[in-house]
Amino acid sequence: MAKARIPVLKVSNLKKSYGDHVIVSNFNLEAWPGEAIALTGRNGAGKSTILRCLVGADRPDEGAIEVNGETLRESNPVIRGAVATVIDDLDFFPDLSVVEHLDLLARAHGLPDSDDAVDAILHEVQLVPQSGQLPGTLSSGQRRRLALATAFVRPRQLLILDEPEQRLDVEGVEWLAQRLKTERQAGLAIVMASHEPTLVKTVATKTIRVGER
Amino acid sequence: MSKKRISRPAKRPAPKSASAAEPAVNEAAAAGGPAQTTTSPSELAPVSTTQGADGVVSAASPDEADAAPDDAPTEFVAPTWNHSLIDVTPEPVWEPDLKALLKSWRRGRATKRLSQVLQDGYVTIFSVLVIVAMLGGAVFRAQSEATACATATCEVGRGLLPWVMLFAAFTLTLAAARVFGPVVASAAEGFWLLDAPIRRARLLRRRLVAVLGAVAGGAAVLGAVLAALTGYPWPQILEWAAALGLGAAGLTGLAALEQTFARTWLVKLVQWLFGLAALAALATITAVAGGWISLDLDSAWSTRVVIGLGGAGVAALVLFGGLALARLDQIHRARLVSGGNLISGMQGAAFAMDLGLMRDILVERDAMAKGQVRPTLGLGHGQTAIVGRELQRLWRYPKRLVLLVVSLGVPYAVGALGLTRFNPFISALVLLIAFVPLLGSLRVLTRTRGLARLFPFSNARLRLATAAVAAGLAAIWAILASPAFHGLGAVPDASFSTAAANALVTAAAGLLAAVRWVSAKPADYSTPMMQTGFGALPPGLMFNLFKGLDVVAVMTGPLLLGWSPWVSVVIGVIVLYLLSGSFDMKEAQQMQAELKKEREQLKGGGKPGARQVIAPPKRR
Repeated sequence: MAKARIPVLKVSNLKKSYGDHVIVSNFNLEAWPGEAIALTGRNGAGKSTILRCLVGADRPDEGAIEVNGETLRESNPVIRGAVATVIDDLDFFPDLSVVEHLDLLARAHGLPDSDDAVDAILHEVQLVPQSGQLPGTLSSGQRRRLALATAFVRPRQLLILDEPEQRLDVEGVEWLAQRLKTERQAGLAIVMASHEPTLVKTVATKTIRVGER
Repeated sequence: MSKKRISRPAKRPAPKSASAAEPAVNEAAAAGGPAQTTTSPSELAPVSTTQGADGVVSAASPDEADAAPDDAPTEFVAPTWNHSLIDVTPEPVWEPDLKALLKSWRRGRATKRLSQVLQDGYVTIFSVLVIVAMLGGAVFRAQSEATACATATCEVGRGLLPWVMLFAAFTLTLAAARVFGPVVASAAEGFWLLDAPIRRARLLRRRLVAVLGAVAGGAAVLGAVLAALTGYPWPQILEWAAALGLGAAGLTGLAALEQTFARTWLVKLVQWLFGLAALAALATITAVAGGWISLDLDSAWSTRVVIGLGGAGVAALVLFGGLALARLDQIHRARLVSGGNLISGMQGAAFAMDLGLMRDILVERDAMAKGQVRPTLGLGHGQTAIVGRELQRLWRYPKRLVLLVVSLGVPYAVGALGLTRFNPFISALVLLIAFVPLLGSLRVLTRTRGLARLFPFSNARLRLATAAVAAGLAAIWAILASPAFHGLGAVPDASFSTAAANALVTAAAGLLAAVRWVSAKPADYSTPMMQTGFGALPPGLMFNLFKGLDVVAVMTGPLLLGWSPWVSVVIGVIVLYLLSGSFDMKEAQQMQAELKKEREQLKGGGKPGARQVIAPPKRR
């Protein structure tokens, strides 16, 4: 696949610290279409901090983050339209059912065949029996599946995932690996943090070990 | 001969005779198999056993064990613990003793007396007293203003408004009693105490009495304030206080009795009846104020009904409260603990003075109880999809409109009381509460940035889309409430255009105040703390209580002062700009820092501190 002129995501000299404790320093990254980058490393190495900076949930102390050549601003609607994220700060409307969440997202993103897309992803994440349930009644694994479905039911150029395998059963992790591999092969850029070797091996085209000097 | 030494910790004081402490050796051990000792609980003495090569275990008294040589083999062998306590007959427990023990432990762990805490926080207490004094002053000023109005409409308003508040207070009392319990137990009590073979009634009796007392006291104070606000003399203020207090306590007793039967339908039914009665009384005030009906209230009759209500409250309290006390053993542990858990969550939010979080907890609980809905397809695309989903929400949860419908009667009732000047402020305050249930999506999107990030809109557009339906309802409210601001008597209070503007400003103030209430950030505990008498507090904590009220005050203030409604409109536009999220202080600071960095790089030729080289102008 021919590479575009600019990367989907470009991170230069990222630095983030909490108080005097430097979590990440001089971190650089470029993600191109069709590329999947896995961040690995021990707990507390700074993977989630990096991802939180990449989605705009945290502000880096130094460095620049660009999405499609545009400086990252969390509330920029263009960037929000291009980047799908599943990190730990996601919650749901307590009064909307599973399928209504997906329907709302698909419609908000202007998906032409939103009903078909919602049906397809609902089957894929195996939440059809729970489609009418309110999120508060879902198990933690089902909530994770719903979170992943929110990323797959909408258009996207870049997918940012923080330990997406968390709380998934073995079959779920296998499905996720194959799904992400297919997405990557279709031209999606992926940046994810993971502790699951199978997922990293199947999906990633590049692995960055965070926290090792 | 090698010997293994096994020691076991003491569980109870050693019996006096060594023979009583001697454990029985089972036959398997005697036959050379694995040794097992069986001991009844009363025989749990510090016993040392020695096992010979033949597998036979012999027991020794503690003294003998201590006398064992120091160089004896010390290899640890796990003790055989075979005390299933199946055959133990428990001794009867005197529950008040257990409570006394808990109380003693709690007191032992306290680091300060209540008086010391109050002394430390005297500045805060003083501030609260000043605020209470101000509110009291405002109540009595309003009372004198209400008393000054002697028209027939004012008389009817004064006669009926306390009834509206009484029925509303009873409705709220029943709702709160049903949601919380009213008898509750903490999770720890549920695990450690309620599972034990004790009589729950003895543990819970004083708790129920305390709840009934607290409800009676709180409702009595509310009744007194309401009666004072409507201009009643002291004897009638006391009558209303007693009626409200005793009635609310009686209804709480009913809720407690229903809790012992693990059912809620009767409480719900009575709650709805009182809610409808409140609505009917409010509608009557509006109709009388509008001149659609005439009503001649007999104050003597009203007094008799109030006294009768108090008597009915006493009867209900004795009957239902007594039966509930007798049946306290029947309350399910899960029901007790669920109320306790809810209170504990609410307490956490209350310590942060975060009323929004308290509401979130209740909303989550409601959603959990509902569990499932019949899914509906969305409407439209883009932001229209969000607006459409808000409409569908209203269709699904019409109860959210109840408060807004009720609030429509408020400007008429306030006008009927002759408090025309305060109408925008009071009505906007009620609207603040009425609009909050209609802004649930905005609340979730503000609280959860991860969810907001999923939508391809800026924060401002997202907020506007989620508040669009509420804004439409506010416009309808303004149209329907305009006659109240115009004045319903023979002499209008204001021209129709001014009344319409005032109604619009009031509706906008209520809506924007609700938007501020649901979207205000909670106190940030990661910022430097402020030192107070009560310890370190985050700077924004105290302002949490005033969020929303500030918007109402700022927007309706000019109307109270008699200024043009346009002043309030301009203030409203500024408030809207700030609340829509168009102005983000952190984002502005970040952009400023980036611009500064770019300027420095331009000056320094790309590197901070490097000398800038200016190319000479080219000649043509």
